Amino acid sequence: MNKLLTIIFSALIVLSLLLGAGAFFGLFQPKGEPGLTIVTAPDQTKAQRPPCFPDPEANYIPMPEGENLALGKSVVSGVHNDVYVIENVNDGKTDTYWESKGFPAEVTVDLGESRRLTAVAVRLNPSAIWEPRTQEIAVALSADGTSYSEVSAAVKYDFDPATGNRIRIDFPAAEGRFVKLTFTLNTSSRTGGAQAAEIEIYE
Amino acid sequence: MNRKPALSAKLICLGVLAVLLLAAALCLLFVPGAPRHAASGPAEGQTLLTIYEGPRTMTGSQTAVIRANGHELFVYDVMVNHEHIWKADSEPSSTPMTYFDFLGSVSLEIEMPGLNKPVESAAVLPAAWGIVPEVEDGRVRFTITEPGAYTVVFNGSVNKAVHIFANPPETDVPDPDDPDVYYIGPGEWTMDAIALQDGQTLYLSGGAVLHSIVSVANADNVRICGRGMIDGSDYPAWNRPGSYARVPIDINHSKNVTAEGIILVNSNCWNFNSFSSSHVRIDNVKIISGRQNGDGFTFQSCTDHEVTNCFARTWDDSLVIKNYSGSSRGIRFRNVQIWTDLAQSMEIGYETDKGLTLDPEISDVLFEDITVLYNFHKPVISIHNSDDAFVHDITYRNIVVENAMMQGDNGNNKELIEMTLQNSGWSTVTDEFGSIDSVLIEGLTVVNTADGKVPASRFSGQGPENRITNVTIKNVTILGQPIRDLDALRASVNEYCENITVE
Repeated sequence: MNKLLTIIFSALIVLSLLLGAGAFFGLFQPKGEPGLTIVTAPDQTKAQRPPCFPDPEANYIPMPEGENLALGKSVVSGVHNDVYVIENVNDGKTDTYWESKGFPAEVTVDLGESRRLTAVAVRLNPSAIWEPRTQEIAVALSADGTSYSEVSAAVKYDFDPATGNRIRIDFPAAEGRFVKLTFTLNTSSRTGGAQAAEIEIYE
Repeated sequence: MNRKPALSAKLICLGVLAVLLLAAALCLLFVPGAPRHAASGPAEGQTLLTIYEGPRTMTGSQTAVIRANGHELFVYDVMVNHEHIWKADSEPSSTPMTYFDFLGSVSLEIEMPGLNKPVESAAVLPAAWGIVPEVEDGRVRFTITEPGAYTVVFNGSVNKAVHIFANPPETDVPDPDDPDVYYIGPGEWTMDAIALQDGQTLYLSGGAVLHSIVSVANADNVRICGRGMIDGSDYPAWNRPGSYARVPIDINHSKNVTAEGIILVNSNCWNFNSFSSSHVRIDNVKIISGRQNGDGFTFQSCTDHEVTNCFARTWDDSLVIKNYSGSSRGIRFRNVQIWTDLAQSMEIGYETDKGLTLDPEISDVLFEDITVLYNFHKPVISIHNSDDAFVHDITYRNIVVENAMMQGDNGNNKELIEMTLQNSGWSTVTDEFGSIDSVLIEGLTVVNTADGKVPASRFSGQGPENRITNVTIKNVTILGQPIRDLDALRASVNEYCENITVE
């Protein structure tokens, strides 16, 4: 028995050495035409998102529920930069944006009638090329457009494409027709002003 | 009672050794990344050929059928533009393009069913490589032994010219499991944008078509590599209502960036852009574009950039250096093929101080071993200093222009060489001017021209304080004739130039 096993193990060792040496020195060619590699395409029926870039929407900051009252309403601000006019902040599109020329930068939305409000959201383009930045924003409400009460003090908010490049500012419910956002900081190296693709207002 | 053990320790050791060696041998045989002897590559004379299936979502070109060593390649129809004058609403046409990797020798065979006429003759470019194809029964055949960009034109026309990018085998393919690697395999892929950050690598496999843009902003140590394509065909031209520039590769305020092997096609604007960045290496990147402002390699206010073994067929400047926010220096282009359907082949300017900086300069620039397959519109070699920069120490060495077909704009800007210090539509500084000094053109060969005559050249300074000085032009041959003086070069030189010489 031991003799037989010795022969088998010895044969295996010799065989392994031969196979290993052959593989190491490239004596065994793959099947098919020598030197030819055909890189095959996967089964697809349409262009897909690359798997190495998981869809970040699952990590997006949830927006307040209900109707966005700011959409299409009258909106004013100070001087804007280049072509980035204030009308872009409530056109319903995140690929257009407003950019102020310097700070502080105020944006005031006239809702047309007094509403009981609980939240404001500010969005930038969610594209990854809009790199992370921080903006400082305060929110105040007014019934007449003259006398304002602050409902959210100036706070630094982080905008990050990984979370949708959007933030929400929740505050205790309050009545107001005019909603004023005051921007006092933007850490982006690409601009010296405030930026917003959309400003949204919710009850 | 003593009993003899069933198996001796020696036998057990022998068995364990046998199992271990067998496992190691199997690993060597079947694990792709297992170590191999350095000399165990292809046997001498054996060819390595890697071909890439096209995405199953896409239809290959109906214009060209191309085979490499008998294997049909996936051929893409990509945008080009045969209008050699700027039009905001010009629409591109298309031309076939394909690629593969090889080492050794590859026989190529091309059929052109989309040419709608029999192929009676063909030429392989660069002509300087001396490849004479065989044309038989409408099939074009030739053999290549060196990696490079091969362009084939049929029946003496540039219509449906075929571009074949024969890459060397890939090396240093990144590990897909590396957390700093974004690995995109073969197939058709789409996403809004890819932003690469410090230390990250984007790998785009051969056979991949990516509809997206890649941004490298404020980043250090970034690599973009592979054999695949970034395709901008999903986006309307950037100047269309509602559209905007979607730059396929956009490097901004970054350093230590490398880009290797990939192809950029169908961009809706310019192509490989670098702005205020340094230490950028670009190798074996291929660009074909046919839409508005489709500049090829365009660097603004950059330092230490090197472009090697690349190809650019563009519908705007092919290689271009500008100042947008500070000075430019240390820019080197080596072994680059150019086909310029619109604007200039090698342009410095027009913007040389768009950022209104103090003492702007463009200096230490090298264009070496550049082959211009075709230049259809404006000058081949141009320095348009239309702001107030000091442009100096610029070298052009071993420049071969196979077809200098400059038609210009309404008779203007059709020179072979043009250096000016004048305001232009792109000027930011209009009340001050700069200067140009120490330019060397050493080795310039023009093989064909549109009218069979020597094209004109022009040197035009602005005033006593704003001059073009010390331009040395050596070893020039145009249409087979050596050019040894300014008259033979048909050069106009105004009074604000000094020491412009042809040797």
